[in-house]
Amino acid sequence: MLAGSVMRPRVGQVYRTSLDYVLVIALYLLSGVGSAILVCAVGALSQDRRHPLVKKIFNGAQSVLCAAAGGLVFHYTGGPRAGEVLSEPWDAIWTTTAANATWLVVNAVLLCLVLFLEGGQPSPTTFIRKVALPTSPSLLGYGLLGMLLAVAWLSGLGFLSILLIFVPLYVSRWALSQYEAERRAQAATMRAFIQVIETKDLYTRGHSERVSEGVGLLGRHLGLSDDRQTALEHAGLLHDVGKVGVPTSIIQKPGRLDDSEMDAIRLHPARGVELIGNIPFLEEVKSAVLHHHEKYDGTGYPAGLGGENIPYFARIIGIVDAFDSLTSTRSYRPARGVEETLDILLQDRNTHFDPLLVDAFVEVIRRHGWKTLDQPAPDGSKVVAIDHDDLSLGSGGGATGNAAGVE
Amino acid sequence: MNPGQPIEGLDLRRMGSGVVILVVGGILAAVALVATLRHGVTEWSYALVFGALIAIGETVQFRVDRSRNRAPIATSAALGYAMLRGPSVGMPPELAQVIAVTAVATAAGIVPRAIAGLRWDIVVSCRRGISVACAAAVFEALTRRDLAWNGEWVEALWIAGAMMAGVLSAGLSDAVIGAGQATERYNRPFPAALRDELVVMTRIGMAMGITAILLATGTSLIGHWAPPVVIVPLLLTQFAFRRFASAQRTYRATVRSMARSTEIAGFSSPGQNARTAQLAVAIGNDLGLTPARMEALEYAALLSGVGQLALADPSPGGASLLRTREERQRAAEIGASVIERSGVLDHVAEIVRHSNDPYRMGRANNPGIPVESGIVNVALAYEQLVGEGTGQSPDKAMESIGLGIGAEYDPVVVESLRRVIGRGFRF
Ligand SMILES: [Fe+2]
Repeated sequence: MLAGSVMRPRVGQVYRTSLDYVLVIALYLLSGVGSAILVCAVGALSQDRRHPLVKKIFNGAQSVLCAAAGGLVFHYTGGPRAGEVLSEPWDAIWTTTAANATWLVVNAVLLCLVLFLEGGQPSPTTFIRKVALPTSPSLLGYGLLGMLLAVAWLSGLGFLSILLIFVPLYVSRWALSQYEAERRAQAATMRAFIQVIETKDLYTRGHSERVSEGVGLLGRHLGLSDDRQTALEHAGLLHDVGKVGVPTSIIQKPGRLDDSEMDAIRLHPARGVELIGNIPFLEEVKSAVLHHHEKYDGTGYPAGLGGENIPYFARIIGIVDAFDSLTSTRSYRPARGVEETLDILLQDRNTHFDPLLVDAFVEVIRRHGWKTLDQPAPDGSKVVAIDHDDLSLGSGGGATGNAAGVE
Repeated sequence: MNPGQPIEGLDLRRMGSGVVILVVGGILAAVALVATLRHGVTEWSYALVFGALIAIGETVQFRVDRSRNRAPIATSAALGYAMLRGPSVGMPPELAQVIAVTAVATAAGIVPRAIAGLRWDIVVSCRRGISVACAAAVFEALTRRDLAWNGEWVEALWIAGAMMAGVLSAGLSDAVIGAGQATERYNRPFPAALRDELVVMTRIGMAMGITAILLATGTSLIGHWAPPVVIVPLLLTQFAFRRFASAQRTYRATVRSMARSTEIAGFSSPGQNARTAQLAVAIGNDLGLTPARMEALEYAALLSGVGQLALADPSPGGASLLRTREERQRAAEIGASVIERSGVLDHVAEIVRHSNDPYRMGRANNPGIPVESGIVNVALAYEQLVGEGTGQSPDKAMESIGLGIGAEYDPVVVESLRRVIGRGFRF
């Protein structure tokens, strides 16, 4: 039975971890705790040669310690051995589950220790909150496959039983990797699409992606759940997607815009929602796109909402949107500095923006910093179009000077 | 899932060969029920546990992979029930009882869905019943009823081999029926449809089959404890699949929305992209493209106009046929480079890039250009002629496209278009 360890290194790196503890649990039942630990030790010696030595030692020690701790619990709860598994299935189920839980706890503790000693990102608490806790129920569930492996082995199937167990594990891994691939494809495709829309105007290039990044920073600071964090980043990326419905001639029109042209611009949030309406995003994404030009004092568009009536995500995006416009070059004015812009935001904290969110954003940017990219220099010689974000910033310091005459 | 969509349940007119499947399944179930009631049910407790699993699996459906089978748990449970043996199961269920339990449980699982107004498909459920019957028959033919797992490798290998044969026969019979239905429904050539069904079977089908074997082996050895122990990891796997399926839906909706942006920008008339894609898919089905290529073809047809977004002004009515070829090819080139930038749709970009190349200057001399480009080219042209605004008759449009055979349009594709239109395709 120890020969099972020979199989192990050949099953492919990706499936190793999950297969590892499934095998260990089966070994507890089939040949006892001692052999399970032995197999882990042998496995530790046959690690990938490319890993650095420290990592190898840690990995090996970790798997041996985990197996030993789990085995201890298994032993003292009176876990059944070999033939007893078939006659006492319930004992086998609960003792192996207890061992599995111990395995997971010890594993998490060891990893936290390493994260704590290294002192970098992510911190041990984030690791527990974001990785260890969400994954443990499913790892506990997959642990039952270890018990099934023992049963199938005892049925007389021997090595064939490993194949039986391997397939469900493989399939779930496959589904998970496909899920990740779809999500990446989604993000990449949206970004590519936004870039096309932004080709209409040289100076707003990259704006949407920077806003997405900015709201991402603020969202993490505010401690949003994973789902809402992703939704917020999507909303930041897509907030101006409706500009595709604004005629290029208006976007690129030099100088002042007349009322009908302003109206065309004011339509872009609604156009954006029309466009993304069929994508199964969280509802918050759509409301954020629709209301990202509302102002806290109720003077914005399209609905003239004020205060807390403006959706939360829309308030967040409004701030970052303004911040990125001001720190970017426009053809008719140079970029402002980060500190200068933060001061402008703080000045406007009660008129344009949600005061608490502004404070949070200022704190985030002062702590993390903000990289302003190489941008095209302003070209004062030409009369050129004024970006809609500047138009909506109005007088309160926003676009003071160049664009002030417009509103 | 949304109540507005037609429920496939019992619409006999739309079923076609589904009626045959339904009748075969119904007769099978009726005969099995009568036989079982005559002989009495053996091992009630196992019948109840597996019946419950089948019913729950039938109720909690969701789309997995490309298969039409939306109830993998029900399939695994029914197959598992068909392959029980000793020592735990003293009197393994007979063929008739297996079919009867599957039928009753399936019906019990459908009822809540029908009441709740969710989508249900009796034909797919019948297909499952028929394939389970195949597996049960094969398994029973290969194993004696008193053959039991006794820890010896001889018996173990024999039973496992019989189970593999049973599961394979279930998969094969379902693939053949499924391919027949795809041929009828989407006018796909039968060999291509069978190949696609078999590909799906090697993925999700294998997972369902192996789970069934685990379920049967476990139950035969440790009795009632086995189903929950097998079901927990199985549910986790389903959950992973579900997340994958929803991410896939989101992605598809995103591509569709992006395609609609050309309509919002005024470069194409409302619904134009969707109509073009619909026709392109019909042609692709007729030519028997693989599912992966079909997907790329659909995306390419939807996104073929995206390049126009970077051009200055929309042309009136969105008719890109009105503009010069150079302009159209430039738009296609821009569109392709946009799509390429996403990094995940390279094949789609390639199709779009050549979607405005005339056949003689493109595909006729350069086998590297995919046939999908020719399909999109023809679909675009036909949509321009027949689609909403201009509204020519299909015959008239077919005639003017016929004039461009070999020069503008790929003859193979035009032939296929003729077949598709001849079968009554309308926007
Ligand atoms: Fe905007």
